[in-house]
Amino acid sequence: MRTLVVGAGISGLFIAYELVQHGLRDVTVVDASYPGSGATLRNLGCFRTSFTSPEHVVLLKESIRRWLQLKDRLDFEITQKGYLWVARRPETLEGFKKLVEFHHQFGVPTRILSLDEVKEVEPRLNTKIVAGAMFDPTAGKMPIIENFVKLYIEVKKLGVKVVPYTKVTKLVSRGSKIAAAETSRGTIEADVFVVAAAGDSRDIIATAGVDVPIVDIPRHPYVTEPYAKTINPALIIDWDTPGSPHMTQTKLGSFILARDLEDVPRAPLHSERVDAIPHILKPLKELLPFLSRVNIVRYWMGYYDMTPDHHPIYGPVAPYENLYIAAGFSGHGMMMAPVTGKLIASWILDGKPYIDIASNLTLERFRVGRLVKELAVIG
Amino acid sequence: MGEAVKKLDNVVIICRCNDVTVNDIKKAIEMGIDDFELLRKYLRLGFGPCQGRSCIVLAARIFARASGKKIDEVLSNYRVRPPIVPVSARYFTRGAEA
Repeated sequence: MRTLVVGAGISGLFIAYELVQHGLRDVTVVDASYPGSGATLRNLGCFRTSFTSPEHVVLLKESIRRWLQLKDRLDFEITQKGYLWVARRPETLEGFKKLVEFHHQFGVPTRILSLDEVKEVEPRLNTKIVAGAMFDPTAGKMPIIENFVKLYIEVKKLGVKVVPYTKVTKLVSRGSKIAAAETSRGTIEADVFVVAAAGDSRDIIATAGVDVPIVDIPRHPYVTEPYAKTINPALIIDWDTPGSPHMTQTKLGSFILARDLEDVPRAPLHSERVDAIPHILKPLKELLPFLSRVNIVRYWMGYYDMTPDHHPIYGPVAPYENLYIAAGFSGHGMMMAPVTGKLIASWILDGKPYIDIASNLTLERFRVGRLVKELAVIG
Repeated sequence: MGEAVKKLDNVVIICRCNDVTVNDIKKAIEMGIDDFELLRKYLRLGFGPCQGRSCIVLAARIFARASGKKIDEVLSNYRVRPPIVPVSARYFTRGAEA
């Protein structure tokens, strides 16, 4: 069986990895640019289980288990130092308490921290303006570039053909099947097609006459010069400021700071915004005053490939029998990638996902209006 | 001569921001990194305060020789990112909305 995966990001490579693990021999992955060129090498490399829908919590629990399982086999670097969700307002802390109850139903050990406990977890946090926090000890971070390169080299060793700089321009259908993909470098025939191309999945699948509701929303992270280890948690999130500003410190000591700002959907990848920097910095500096003295060394753009309910789209693409999608991760593709690989492999090989709850995330949900509901919406 | 040059590969620094040597680049290529952008990111070339001023062209030339690609092709995806030089955070926070 010949399989063509469109998109050589972390999702596409994990899909290829799992297919090969299941005995498939003819797996090709194409990418419009270089491997990892999209959101994969542009994200912060952080992961968590503390989500607000059963779908996310169940799948992320499994995904993190899988990351850790593969850690030794693929020599990944991963640390679990937790996420610190900071509440400035007492009402938000009440919302966190409800969320913790929700997490505990799924065995996710989040907990509420008093101000003294917050100080213990992160002594540098300005607790004068804070009501408390929620802590997710399952959360963590990884140097995403190193881990991605290790996965890339491994899938090539396993016999996966990775073809960069090959843009899919049209999916050619024949009856109820996709027969071939026309690309910028010729036509590729296959028996099974998987589109894992983030926001570009929409344009690719549109050529087969199917609408995929994904919109690329620009994000603007920036990074400082390296400093000695300063903060303890993997990520600190200022939940009460719109766009939830957040920051992490990388393995080598740089701080990465980001915030979800209002922006023009599908703005070009190089439409940098100088105003992003103060918008991100100001609230974070209130929480962590030392940030007013750091040097900003670099700034880049990336996209969240957003769906209407902020959950990924997984599985078969009707009316085609041999077309699958794994896209629309809405900012969580890296952390979900191992479970993505296993889910799509099980869909292709067994006709259904190996975790039942993933069936709630098919493209079909938008047609029948059954969007994912977030059970616990925070403050 | 050949052996002497090989020894030098261990001490010749290509990227002074992140202490990357000629050997680091050759090893990464041998390991299976077959794209310059991937190599550059893996070794953090251009990630330091100098923004790649000294390392990128040198590294691209080593990669071009090893891969048989033209240097223009090797550098076709490389982009300088702002700011051009590191800027203190304090210049950005006056008058910003929260």
